[in-house]
Amino acid sequence: MERQIYAYACRRCGALHYPFRMVCRECGDNGPHEFDPVPLPKEGTLLTFTFVHNLPAEYEVARLGLGVVELSNGLRMLGQLEIADPRLGMKVVGEVKVVRQEAYERRYGMVFRAA
Amino acid sequence: MREVYAAGVGITSFTRLEYPLVEIAAYPAMMALLDAGLKAVDQVYVANMGSARLNSQTALASAVVDTLGLTPAGAERIENGPASGASAVKQGFLGVASGMYEAVLVTGCERMREVNNLEATDFVATMTHPLAEYVYGVTLPAHAAMFTRLYMQRYGVTERHLAMVAVKNHANAMKNRFAHLHQPITIEGILDSPEAFTNNPYVSEPLRFFDCCPVSDGGAAVILASREKMAELGKPLIRLAGLGQATDTLAVFERPDPTDLLAVRRSAAAAFAMAGLTPSDVQVAELHDAFTILEIAESEEAGFFPKGEGHLALEKGVTSLGGALPINPSGGLKGKGHPVGATGIGQVHEIVTQLRGEAGDRQVAGAKVGFTCNFGGFGNNVISMVFVREE
Repeated sequence: MERQIYAYACRRCGALHYPFRMVCRECGDNGPHEFDPVPLPKEGTLLTFTFVHNLPAEYEVARLGLGVVELSNGLRMLGQLEIADPRLGMKVVGEVKVVRQEAYERRYGMVFRAA
Repeated sequence: MREVYAAGVGITSFTRLEYPLVEIAAYPAMMALLDAGLKAVDQVYVANMGSARLNSQTALASAVVDTLGLTPAGAERIENGPASGASAVKQGFLGVASGMYEAVLVTGCERMREVNNLEATDFVATMTHPLAEYVYGVTLPAHAAMFTRLYMQRYGVTERHLAMVAVKNHANAMKNRFAHLHQPITIEGILDSPEAFTNNPYVSEPLRFFDCCPVSDGGAAVILASREKMAELGKPLIRLAGLGQATDTLAVFERPDPTDLLAVRRSAAAAFAMAGLTPSDVQVAELHDAFTILEIAESEEAGFFPKGEGHLALEKGVTSLGGALPINPSGGLKGKGHPVGATGIGQVHEIVTQLRGEAGDRQVAGAKVGFTCNFGGFGNNVISMVFVREE
């Protein structure tokens, strides 16, 4: 099954949040656990990006692409980029993959490539 | 609220220090006590971000108060990321302003070079959102780089403007014997010459090595006291006249406008409102230039220049020593260094020194009103302060 990253919809006003938070930013009115998980869309537009050269020790690459993407439902997220020559405003599509390999754990996150 | 004054200041060199963290907190504290002419205080606040992780030491304030012989004064460690220093000053301010204490010691310390560069960068990155940012390998230089790219596109800031901040702050640091980097640099050497890319490689594109502050060890301290106590001490009356703090979303991408440093704007506005002053009253400012772009952006958000015009003021020399509003005469985080827990108090040290007229070669002539901005996270917890010299 395809892996997903989830946004959280407020059960009272419907506002979507990513990442998870305990109180709705829109209505401020909900109790704990009053959010429904909704998969984040995978398509979006690249808002800004960088290539990081001084990486934490776990990363065995020379440089790592990172970018902020505005997803098709208007939410934004940070993700890794597998794009050699990114441009501001380009269309991208994401896939959930391993983004950080720790000693005893693989951490998953969104990795974007050109659409 | 009672009025609160800076009665004494002290600082270590910001550099690599080969002595224990507790001593890095205690030396500047002793200098500040000596400066104020005090042997005892009612309360001690220790600002530090990383002792548990970097130095395997917790309950740091108990160790500091004891080594200084200040027991049985109360003591707490304040951790608030890179804004720990100003947060501790705020707690000290509240203690004296409330009438609970007459004199308090606020000392900040960090020993980051106990670990290697990659570990230090990773440690600093733990202040980002654990699931939505940190897990991707984001670093603070990466956040600043993504911010810079948008700033360049929107406002016409170039690599040359960033380099001008670095050259200015390195030149200022040459005049500060406590600064980490005593290394004059030129635009040619870091940008234009054939060797520039070797001298100044990318850290996180488009930011280069000389756009980033060094990883420093260091400590800084200030004694805060009531008006009544100041009358006994006979020191110059440098009043902490305004203090504002504001927070913003932890995940940077959640902000409606990613080039908007809303928490800087709000904290500065609150500090000026409390002091009953405006940005045009300020003659010297210490801003949190962990990355060169931040000096430009904060100078706008604090209200010194219109949004998008900070780099133009920089170009004209307005923010240089001798300009209309010198920014970071100490060298800033860029030149003086950035021991994270001590940085906010280091800024206070510089402003108090300037307002006393004791800054030597880097003195801003006749400075009576000074401003500090201590920027925590990537703009998610910011504290601004306004200091005024009273005659």
